[in-house]
Amino acid sequence: MLFFLPIDFVDQMLLKFFSADTVNHVVWPFIQVVLVISLVTGWVAAANYLERKVSAFMQARLGPMRVGPWGILQPIADGIKLLTKEDFIPDKADRWIFFIAPYIAVAAAFIVFVVVPFGPDWAVIADLNIGLLFVLAVSSVGVLALILAGWSSNSKYSLLGALRSSAQMISYEVAMGLSLIGALMFARTLSLSSIVNAQSGDSIWFLLYQPLGFLIFLVSGIAENNRAPFDLPEAESELVAGFHTEYSGFRWSLFFMAEYAAMVVVSAVAVTVYLGGWYFPFVYRLTEAKGYHNLYVIVSLLVFLVKLSGILYLYFWLRWTLPRFRYDQLMDIGWKWLIPASLINVGTSAISIFVVQALDGWRGMKTIESLSGGLNLTGTGKGVMIVLGLAGLGVTGLLLGRINWRSRDFNLKSQRRNIRLVNIPQGKPAVPAVASEG
Amino acid sequence: MPLVKVPKPKFIEKVQRFFMVDLLRGLRLTLKYNIGALTGSDPVAGKGIYTEQYPKVRPDVAPRFHGAPRLNMDPETHDTLCIACNLCAIACPEDCIDVIPLDIEIMVAGKPRKKKVLDEFIFDTSRCMFCALCQEACPTYCLELTQDFELATYSRAGFVWNREMLEQGRETVKYTR
Repeated sequence: MLFFLPIDFVDQMLLKFFSADTVNHVVWPFIQVVLVISLVTGWVAAANYLERKVSAFMQARLGPMRVGPWGILQPIADGIKLLTKEDFIPDKADRWIFFIAPYIAVAAAFIVFVVVPFGPDWAVIADLNIGLLFVLAVSSVGVLALILAGWSSNSKYSLLGALRSSAQMISYEVAMGLSLIGALMFARTLSLSSIVNAQSGDSIWFLLYQPLGFLIFLVSGIAENNRAPFDLPEAESELVAGFHTEYSGFRWSLFFMAEYAAMVVVSAVAVTVYLGGWYFPFVYRLTEAKGYHNLYVIVSLLVFLVKLSGILYLYFWLRWTLPRFRYDQLMDIGWKWLIPASLINVGTSAISIFVVQALDGWRGMKTIESLSGGLNLTGTGKGVMIVLGLAGLGVTGLLLGRINWRSRDFNLKSQRRNIRLVNIPQGKPAVPAVASEG
Repeated sequence: MPLVKVPKPKFIEKVQRFFMVDLLRGLRLTLKYNIGALTGSDPVAGKGIYTEQYPKVRPDVAPRFHGAPRLNMDPETHDTLCIACNLCAIACPEDCIDVIPLDIEIMVAGKPRKKKVLDEFIFDTSRCMFCALCQEACPTYCLELTQDFELATYSRAGFVWNREMLEQGRETVKYTR
């Protein structure tokens, strides 16, 4: 307890200078905001290094090794390089929009961290009761920055990248929002802290109830962040660098920061909604129940960060495993698979909740513990729900497989049929040979 | 007449596609490489990382690699082993060796005799193809192609090595880890 004394000590010191309202609603939130911003920027710097290292290890290379031991100071060197580069603005660019776009990207990515519950109690800045809606609404503002950047650059590559990214983000936004509804049916709230509380009160992860929802959310989240294998807006081989082709120096680094911060946001929401957030078994019993409140918060914070880094490793892992999708395949997955699957998921989760409620009291079975603070199920209820979740996964797959069977691969089958019908006469040249003179 | 032959997928292929087995296989492969790099073990070659950190760590060249030439000296007297026989210059297909002898008078059993000794040895590494025929021809194992491979210089004249460079070796920057 002695180690965490400074938090209470600082609180008492602040109360000597300010009123209780000022301390609770101005000073502490300010400290939280500063901490979170430094945490996220620190993550961006670390991610730069980690991504290069992970990619190197997956390709049996070493990665950055020269700056500091094992190249650990490489992000600092990169940062200094970016800050000292020329801030280039193309001729005939729309200067104001060109200036503003990166700031919109960074702001949209960073504002979301207001509602992300890093831990219980003081580890969340603001627990909005519309938390999840806020996340979806603000993070989709990020696409505006990409469109503005692409449009104002006065470059064909930038414009094409921006158009691609807007089309992609709009298609995947729908599936992302719809996939969360299934989990919300169990939590019965939009506040992210309450979603975690619903899971810790029931001591289960919603991943078990909602395997399909988690898969859809993860895929559409990766697509939303324009990460590989969905990185068509910045496809190097086709579009140079996509929407930030014309950006350099500090403004480019802002886009970079926004991309990695958006990664953290999507991972944080995935962890909160599906992986139990900061909840871990025995942590509450070993710390809070014995009176170590601050220790409880800090251990929960670490649990959250560990889960978060698991999802972020998955990002790197997928990036260096899968090749990029073709554009029609991207739209195919978005519109033919993910959106119908998320709609079916809403239906199947509603049906499964109905089934569990109907089973309560049938032949003496007890499935529902209570309905306060989300849906609390007994052991039997959990088992039934997990089975129903897996069944929903299978049913959705079979249904969509049947529906999309004819239209797979951009209707390649009908194309092949057309090719078969073409009958080129063989042995006869298309252009008759001209008799040579003399 | 079909121009494109489309094989019908078997049932097992359909199932594999449905469960994304290939994706999981790819993920397993990259994870295996990642873990192999961290633990320093690889199922293929027994090491996880294949990168050589060249200036700091010298690479292992092949045992039969031929590099920079060297004139060996007698380890006891530190006289050159070269007898200026010119065999290496004759053996050289590129004519990149010039042996310049010097006639000196010595007394052998009280009688003055002439002896040919080495005065200067010119080796043009820019024309050398490192075939090591000179090394084969040398009767006293004096001329030898070592495994040193850093032969780059700033000028054409730097490629021409004289006797001192051949005997002492060229000075290069040594990096440490």
